[in-house]
Amino acid sequence: MTDGGRIFDPGLQPERTALAWRRTGLAVAVGAIAGTRVLFPTLGAGAVVVGLLGLGLAALLVIGSTRRARRAQACLLEEGNLVSGPGGRLIAAVCIACTSVGVAALAVVVGAHL
Amino acid sequence: MSSPVASRRFPRWVFGEGSEPDPRFTLANERTFLAWIRTALALLACGIALEAVAPPMQPQLRLAASVLLIVLGLLTPVQAWFAWSRDERAMRNGRPLSAPSLMVPLTVGTAITGLLLLAALLLR
Repeated sequence: MTDGGRIFDPGLQPERTALAWRRTGLAVAVGAIAGTRVLFPTLGAGAVVVGLLGLGLAALLVIGSTRRARRAQACLLEEGNLVSGPGGRLIAAVCIACTSVGVAALAVVVGAHL
Repeated sequence: MSSPVASRRFPRWVFGEGSEPDPRFTLANERTFLAWIRTALALLACGIALEAVAPPMQPQLRLAASVLLIVLGLLTPVQAWFAWSRDERAMRNGRPLSAPSLMVPLTVGTAITGLLLLAALLLR
């Protein structure tokens, strides 16, 4: 990610971080598709809704992280540090979403044995 | 000292104090966080897959392995948040970073999962 050909850091740390976010978003998308496949026999159309929700979440993650990376890049180029760069909101949101998926997974797995 | 702009960044208890560290370290901290999140997703996927695919194994032991994987996958994002904010705070204050607190539970938990699955295979 360059801004008019300028880069902040020859180690390309901002780019590597943006790629790590994208990789995570992609993992969520793959999980959503696999989840739809797994839940389809029991939930039917409901599984498609769950899958679409998951894909929406993945899209939000990719869009949110791209905006985050742009903000970080602009901040680094203008100020040389991240003083007014992105904070931890997206990070907190990712944690909450991941934990919620875990709680749902636990309910589904344990529920199937009751 | 923190600037008024910096203190608006969330969470206040991380960005409200200390001075801005080398941005490369902040970005590396973020990538470590993301690696933990992908670990959590992998643990959850394995736990769900064990139940969804239902391989021919002793069902109670398979369920125990599945639940253990999902519980580890639940704890991982929580620890990822605390490790990220704690390390960001430590860097701002020039203090050393601490070791990830979930390392031992995760190692032991994964090993126990392996043993449970082995037993489930042998006792089917």
